Amino acid sequence: MTLEDKNARSLTKRFVFNALKALVKSFVFYMLYLFVLSFFVQFEGYVPGLRQTLESFVIVYISLGVFRDIVSDTFFQYFFDVAKALFVICYLILALNGGIVNLTYMDVALTVDLRLFLMAAILLSLLGLARAILQAINCANKKVELTFSYEF
Amino acid sequence: MDVSIRMISAASTVFWILLVGFFASAVYSVKDLHLSLGEPRLSLTTDGHAIISIPINIENMGYYNLGSFNIATKVADLNGAKITEGSTSVPIVERGSKITVLHNLTFSTSVLSESCIHYLFNDSSFMVTAKISLKLAETIPVQALSNFTVPWGAPFYNFQLGQPTIEPVNFTHLEITVPISFENHAPIDINGEISLYMYNSEAILVGRGESKIAAPQGNLYTGSILLYVQSSEILEKGAFEVYFSTQFMSYGPLVIPYDFGG
Repeated sequence: MTLEDKNARSLTKRFVFNALKALVKSFVFYMLYLFVLSFFVQFEGYVPGLRQTLESFVIVYISLGVFRDIVSDTFFQYFFDVAKALFVICYLILALNGGIVNLTYMDVALTVDLRLFLMAAILLSLLGLARAILQAINCANKKVELTFSYEF
Repeated sequence: MDVSIRMISAASTVFWILLVGFFASAVYSVKDLHLSLGEPRLSLTTDGHAIISIPINIENMGYYNLGSFNIATKVADLNGAKITEGSTSVPIVERGSKITVLHNLTFSTSVLSESCIHYLFNDSSFMVTAKISLKLAETIPVQALSNFTVPWGAPFYNFQLGQPTIEPVNFTHLEITVPISFENHAPIDINGEISLYMYNSEAILVGRGESKIAAPQGNLYTGSILLYVQSSEILEKGAFEVYFSTQFMSYGPLVIPYDFGG
């Protein structure tokens, strides 16, 4: 077996492992989503399009997670981490209408002020964004260190 | 750097779980929150105000306390003119508790008689704007606003003076009997007095009489008022002025013309 064959085999092994990891993580996340959804399912009548809104979030979030896991151990994973954090921020701002949610149910106008929740969620997403950037810097740093150590 | 990144990751995960868990449980708690209205009660004050007290039952069986519970109502006539408004607040409704608060609406009887004459004699409805605001788990402000109409039954619905009968008492005076009738559609019994002033076409007061009334809610009232008048002063045409005085309002005059010739 040549070195190229060994490399190809190792790459395939890593890809399959990453894909399996992504599958398991997606499954766990989806189960978590179904669990949380079971709490909200009785409010579907009050909030039109609740399930579609949540499902579209979950689909995009899981997709980004899958791509991220497939390219893990490469520099690109951090791009997906950043994309995930930015997506969560944008999605929350858009879906929650800036934090003030207006609903109408049987001639009753409901206003829910979720600005505090939104602020906390955005701060946590920003923390995730900062983490992804730090990881990217750390990875680049390690690569440079490795290159230097090879050169010397 | 690896350690600090791991710390950030762990902290981020823990806070996300706490945030989503808290939010989901707070929203889920709404299903265990029950609001209901009791039977309204009417009471009268000595300074001529009518107070409608509506008991509000709040049952909070959710996981968290409710904060800043407030209910505000505004009652207006069909043209949108405000009749009364009221507000009731409860700072905290503890979880697992069941409380009843009285929401009071105070009506000034003078306001009723000045601007709501229509409501004394005609069945109608009031426009009610109700706003309920509270803080779920003392952190998530929620507000519900609703407009609805409340049917109103007139206390002197279809008030009428019947055909007067005239009997001579002596050479100079006449006894006039004026039948009165109305239906009490109001949600309360009416007790009071109706005074009748009779003016001829030259605007001279010819005679006056009064009658006590007691009209249970939902019933037809029929009665009559006796007037003694000078026969020389009575003319073919003129007008009756009717004054109403009940336990919760006074109103008058209601001018009803008469024509003995016709």
